[in-house]
Amino acid sequence: MSALLEMTGVRKRYGGVQALDGASLTAVRGEVHALLGPNGSGKSTLDKTLAGTVVPDSGEIRIDGAEARIGGPRDAHALGIAAVYQQLSVVGDLTVTQNVVLGLEPARRLGFLDHRAARVRAATALERFAAAFSGRLPLDRPAASLGPGEQQIVEVAKALAREPRVLVLDEATASLHKEQVEVLFEVVRELRAAGVLVVFTSHRLDEVFALCDRATVLRNGRTVATVDLSSTTEDALVQLMVAAPAQTPVETPDAPQGASRHVEAPVSGRTAESGAVALVVRGLTTDRLRDVSFTVRAGEVLGLGGLQGQGQSELLLALFGAARITAGDALLDGKALPLTSPARAARAGVALVPGDRARQGMFASRPIQENLSLASMRRRARLKLALSAAAERRAARSMVERLSIKIGSLNDPVATLSGGNQQKVVIGKWLLDQPRVVLLDDPAKGVDVAAKEEIYAIVRGLAAEGAVVILNSSDNRELTELSDRVLVLFEGAVAEELTAASITENRLVSSALRLAPGETL
Amino acid sequence: MSAPTVEAPRRALAWRPGPVALAGAVAVVLVIAGELVSPGFAGYGQLVNLMRVAAFLSVIAIGQTIVIIAGGGGVDLSVGKVATFAAIIGSRVMAGDDANIVPAVALALLVAAAIGLVNGLGVTLLRIPPFVMTLGMIGVVQGLILAYTGGQASGRAAPALTSLVNGRIVFDLPGLLFLWLLLGLLAVWLLRRTTFGWNLYAVGANRAAAELTGVRAGRTLILAYVLSATFAGLAGILLLGYTESVFLDLADQYMLPSVAAVVIGGTLLAGGIGGYAGTAVGAIVLTVLQGLLTTLDIGGAWRTIVNGVVLLVLLSLYGRQRRLRS
Amino acid sequence: MSGTFSLRGVRLPAVQLSGAATVGMLVVAVIVNSALQPNFWSGYALTSNFATFVPLVAIAVGQTIVVLSGGIDLSLGAQVTLASVVAVRVVDGQLDRLPQAVAAALGVGLVCGALNGLVVALVRLQPIVATFATSFVFSGLALVVLPTPGGSVPLEVTTAYRAAVLGLPVALLAILGLALLWWALRRHRVLRHVYAVGGDPEAAYASLVPVARTRVSAYVLGGLFAALAALAVLANTGSGDPFVGNELTLASVAAVVIGGTSLAGGRGGAGGSMLGAIVLALVTNIVFFADVPTTYRQLVNGAVIILALALAGIPALQKRRPAA
Repeated sequence: MSALLEMTGVRKRYGGVQALDGASLTAVRGEVHALLGPNGSGKSTLDKTLAGTVVPDSGEIRIDGAEARIGGPRDAHALGIAAVYQQLSVVGDLTVTQNVVLGLEPARRLGFLDHRAARVRAATALERFAAAFSGRLPLDRPAASLGPGEQQIVEVAKALAREPRVLVLDEATASLHKEQVEVLFEVVRELRAAGVLVVFTSHRLDEVFALCDRATVLRNGRTVATVDLSSTTEDALVQLMVAAPAQTPVETPDAPQGASRHVEAPVSGRTAESGAVALVVRGLTTDRLRDVSFTVRAGEVLGLGGLQGQGQSELLLALFGAARITAGDALLDGKALPLTSPARAARAGVALVPGDRARQGMFASRPIQENLSLASMRRRARLKLALSAAAERRAARSMVERLSIKIGSLNDPVATLSGGNQQKVVIGKWLLDQPRVVLLDDPAKGVDVAAKEEIYAIVRGLAAEGAVVILNSSDNRELTELSDRVLVLFEGAVAEELTAASITENRLVSSALRLAPGETL
Repeated sequence: MSAPTVEAPRRALAWRPGPVALAGAVAVVLVIAGELVSPGFAGYGQLVNLMRVAAFLSVIAIGQTIVIIAGGGGVDLSVGKVATFAAIIGSRVMAGDDANIVPAVALALLVAAAIGLVNGLGVTLLRIPPFVMTLGMIGVVQGLILAYTGGQASGRAAPALTSLVNGRIVFDLPGLLFLWLLLGLLAVWLLRRTTFGWNLYAVGANRAAAELTGVRAGRTLILAYVLSATFAGLAGILLLGYTESVFLDLADQYMLPSVAAVVIGGTLLAGGIGGYAGTAVGAIVLTVLQGLLTTLDIGGAWRTIVNGVVLLVLLSLYGRQRRLRS
Repeated sequence: MSGTFSLRGVRLPAVQLSGAATVGMLVVAVIVNSALQPNFWSGYALTSNFATFVPLVAIAVGQTIVVLSGGIDLSLGAQVTLASVVAVRVVDGQLDRLPQAVAAALGVGLVCGALNGLVVALVRLQPIVATFATSFVFSGLALVVLPTPGGSVPLEVTTAYRAAVLGLPVALLAILGLALLWWALRRHRVLRHVYAVGGDPEAAYASLVPVARTRVSAYVLGGLFAALAALAVLANTGSGDPFVGNELTLASVAAVVIGGTSLAGGRGGAGGSMLGAIVLALVTNIVFFADVPTTYRQLVNGAVIILALALAGIPALQKRRPAA
């Protein structure tokens, strides 16, 4: 069978970063082709070159053997390519119908809109996903009023309404519930049967094996291999994805001890039974939290589990004074914890590493120095105002060394660092403030395997030093590895508490899912 | 690849051509052009004179720099009017008597700071976009001026103030230039070596992240507007010392140039990047350009047009936003 | 993910005044005004009131479209000035040159809008500063065209403007015409794209919406409505004034805010802005008829605009966004 899509020697440079360095991809019609690789390997960039939102510096793209120039989304559309992005491209203020037909609105004379035709087209596109929506298709609701999973489905429906020959799914399952994933997979299989090429990018290897025929693995912007998934194993794929041992010391996820050399800490965190109760949370209630109570001991890592979006992030924000609290309070070492503003919470010894690093955690355009100093500089300033350049530099240096952050100069903008090092800067700014309570919202999300292990080591080190650590993670393996206890949240309330031996991935998954209405395992 | 919001500044940084040096070069070229068009333009006395005019703009632009760095569309269009009002208050309270300098300056700066406080509260608490808030404030301050003066400015600068501003101390340079240097150093210190300055850059670069780092962003922003109005008030007092008597639109025309000077100096209107050294050079560039236009005998309407075009051209050199397609 | 939960003080100002608040303000303004202005409900007073409303109403519609697209146009007032002085120069008191004058005004609006759109969409400058800069170019040009107030509009035009058709003031009909124009635009693809681009430019771009072209269209529409405002100004005052539009820019932004359009873009509509414009015009009336001393009038007017803008910042008056 001749290739429907052939990409060769694709290069793309962003500032100082070579995102794609001669990547290639060959796929045939009627295939679900996985695109794999660690973070920063260029998967998303390659997807975007296909979709036209990124124009490569060089490289060749052939569709059906003919050379294709994709200079924008319109070119991609003309070639029969549609994409679903990692970052949603749903416009929240438009209705679902308006979103599905966006850019290709059916119109009558002189560009006046044809509402009826639009509804028909949207309904047709969404029908096959009916099972993913509770109740009727929300054709006339603003997209912003839908849950993240439903928005993602609208996004997929929008792409399908374009009747593509090539469908690019970039992390399209990230915000979906399990049953929504099943619906999506069913549709993808139908598309495959109809001869559509689906390029599927995902971090979840189980999904890749469940759905895809072949996989192309990227590393550092280059294509490493294309493999037939029916004749390979998960381990073999992971081996392909992680860099050769000579380049970066990386362990397989089951053997995390190597990276902990920088932060002295026990390999397992589950030794904290001895610490005294430090944090008491009583009846915490907000828009999205219902009567959450729990205690955490000093030196304990409390995990937050459950399906995503059940209030885990909100709980961390509430404890950091960044959510409007309608009832409840918290005590730290017996004293009331101020939950009225992040500034007060920070001064009371609470630190938050937010889930969205780019938007909430770092100051991309500012120097690494300032990023590291900001949370703690008031401690070093004279009269709370005058800063000493030398003292700030010493403090920043100490953290760069302690967390082995790989930087050029402290004066470089933090944006020039890799994702993992950026996250270490965000964590480091708080460590300089010596917090009693550390709230971590998916701290290892979007960083590569090596950095992940280093971050785990930091978390263990914090607990070993006696801090209260509360960790939300979308990765169940992370929770099992790091937590002493896990609270499973459902619709803003604590649904179950798992301790010591009961913290297993299976238990976490079943606990999270059993609670969803109408869900069976 | 991480989020595009992270990629954007990286691109921008790689591509900026050192605005301060560039602006300095433009200033030199303009002076040479002036000398060619009209010999004597680059003479010592003439240059000192240009620097003196630039000083007023530079001092007003200190506050403008601070507010623009604060980001979120931060800008203070009311600086010109506030400077005018401060000069009017100063002049009336001084009434030409040295004994009244301290209360006059204190009152003028206090009123200016109060106006800045209202701007800051409007922008932070009521979330009125800064451009709109401070544009609206122009009307209010103009109203205050009319109500305070009844349409007729009165009083006179105290002789001590005048001699401080106009008196020649060293190298035949007016005292004003030394005051400018002093205030400029203060501004640089404030931005580079204080917690306020670092908080300001953080808020400008990413307000949400600043809040979640324990920075009191609202307080920082309010203080930025208070400082902006206070520096404007200070510039008004200096201007009063220079002109000795005031009129009702004394410093109004500084509104556009104060923004332009900041932009020329390479401070990003998006916030979070920039500094005062660039602004000072930017003020010099604009002043030399005005001098050149005057030398060329170009009238008021056309000068307004040139000002607008210059700002547009400079913005297209520095102030461009990132493409949707990369 | 940000945005899926409420972050106090962290969210950026995407506030929107609720429709009830807008209507409430209108009712209060009408009641106060009718109490203070003698014969408020008489045909003469209504006619002359509506005659003064039209320019602000027209420019408010234009500003709304630009704001919805995610921009703002601080040069709209200057465009009104420039369009009006050009038109008054062209018409020069002669009725038979009226068509040319109207065409000239619209042409000025079109060119100014296109220039703004070009600068914002293609050169990619921040709208607020870019249009601030162009406003100086436009008002400078207006001074070149007409250095001092003067020029005259044919008497027939000013008379017709204050006449009534079927008992309805012509100016009121003009406002209804503007509303109709908005109604039609709202059903056009360009406005749908304006909403999409203002709501989320990246999503719109990825969804094949021609983002740059849509932005340019928004500014051009803004310019055309500024031209209509200019014609109304001329019909109302009967002569040209190279400073006439100065106050209109801020008032148009205030009208948009009062009308419940989010300055962040993508949400709202011109219907509210038209009501907002009428509220502001009524307030000016009230200040006049409440015997505020002349030296304080400007202060009161300025304070009212600030207060109007501040209203959108009061949570109780804000429109609730659909819960996620």
